[in-house]
Amino acid sequence: MKSVHNVVLAAVAMAVVSLAIQPVFAHHSGAGFSKDTREITGTVKEFQFTNPHSWIQVNVVDDSGKTVEWSVEWGSPNQLGRDGYRPSTFAPGTKVTIKLHPMANGALVGGFIAAKMPDGKTIGKWDAE
Amino acid sequence: MHRKRLVLALGVLLLPTLSYAQNTTVTPFDKLPDWSGVWSMMGGTIFDRATQTGEGGSVTPGVREHPPYNAEYEKKYLDHLALRDADRYPDVQTNCGVPVGYPRILNLPDAYEFVVRPDVFYIIAENGGNTMRVYTDGRKLPAKEDTWGTYTGVSVGHWEGDTLVWETIGLKGDRDNDSILDRTGLVLSDAARITTRMRKINEKTLEAKLVIEDPKALTKPWTVTKQFAKGKPGLFLYDYGCAENNRNPVDTKTGKTFVLGPDGKPVN
Repeated sequence: MKSVHNVVLAAVAMAVVSLAIQPVFAHHSGAGFSKDTREITGTVKEFQFTNPHSWIQVNVVDDSGKTVEWSVEWGSPNQLGRDGYRPSTFAPGTKVTIKLHPMANGALVGGFIAAKMPDGKTIGKWDAE
Repeated sequence: MHRKRLVLALGVLLLPTLSYAQNTTVTPFDKLPDWSGVWSMMGGTIFDRATQTGEGGSVTPGVREHPPYNAEYEKKYLDHLALRDADRYPDVQTNCGVPVGYPRILNLPDAYEFVVRPDVFYIIAENGGNTMRVYTDGRKLPAKEDTWGTYTGVSVGHWEGDTLVWETIGLKGDRDNDSILDRTGLVLSDAARITTRMRKINEKTLEAKLVIEDPKALTKPWTVTKQFAKGKPGLFLYDYGCAENNRNPVDTKTGKTFVLGPDGKPVN
């Protein structure tokens, strides 16, 4: 009986894992994002909580002292909304550090991995990559 | 003797009614299973995970499935896979505006509702958004010549206990190169006929078993299983305005997926 119980638990765990690994950017293909991880720190300009994907626009001061605008692509607002996120999650003016998969061609665009907010709270898989 | 004649006469009068009723058996509400709630497809968007080779998702180079394609459709699939590996296989759904069709509607991310009524069954997929209708009011499938090939085709079904069984015909398949099963580049032809059996295998899981017959594309029937997990109570579905802020349009001629910067211009 215990082994049956364990099998059921394992099946449930597998189901949860398989749900968790659904691609975030299911609307389109890889679109040139590399597998590299990069951190950017800046100020939220705008959070486009719109379909088919949401976008976080972040103003970042680059190495030359110039302010540049990054576009960070995240999931659909519908799924993010069901997970508890809101348009206010990244309020304009918020200081934020974001981990992302940058585009291979060097454009200021990346796929969202995780974010660290001013109070130290994290969103996404901050420790995973 | 007189009574026997009366019963016979009544029987003759009732015969057409009984015959009609047998052909139009509609399962009443109280005999239908409860498929209410919000559901999510289990696993990624590989259509036939049982035959997948290679590690990764549908856009990962090297990943493919192994339907029983004939030589012509295997070559088509290999051509699509080569484009996919080069990140140049266009998925027209990315440009918003066409339905994903059947059977791809059972291969989508985001959330689903499965609406069971006596006369019709609706698949409502948030992604897209996409909708499919399966008529269960006793009607018959139209003749092949009365269909003209659409993304989702025409479906008619009936209940066998707690299992909904339906047949789908009238699919456009790959006729116009705008209907695929997943982003590896799986396609069917316009001759496809799909028999689907869907039921709840436990309180948290719905399962759809598809048997796909396609004399133009397949050498034998292709069986694919898709499963859906029930979400926690109280979840909402929302509209999915695909064109609301689509910063990833696809050039259907080159297959290239653009990424639009904040000024609306491609950055790749």
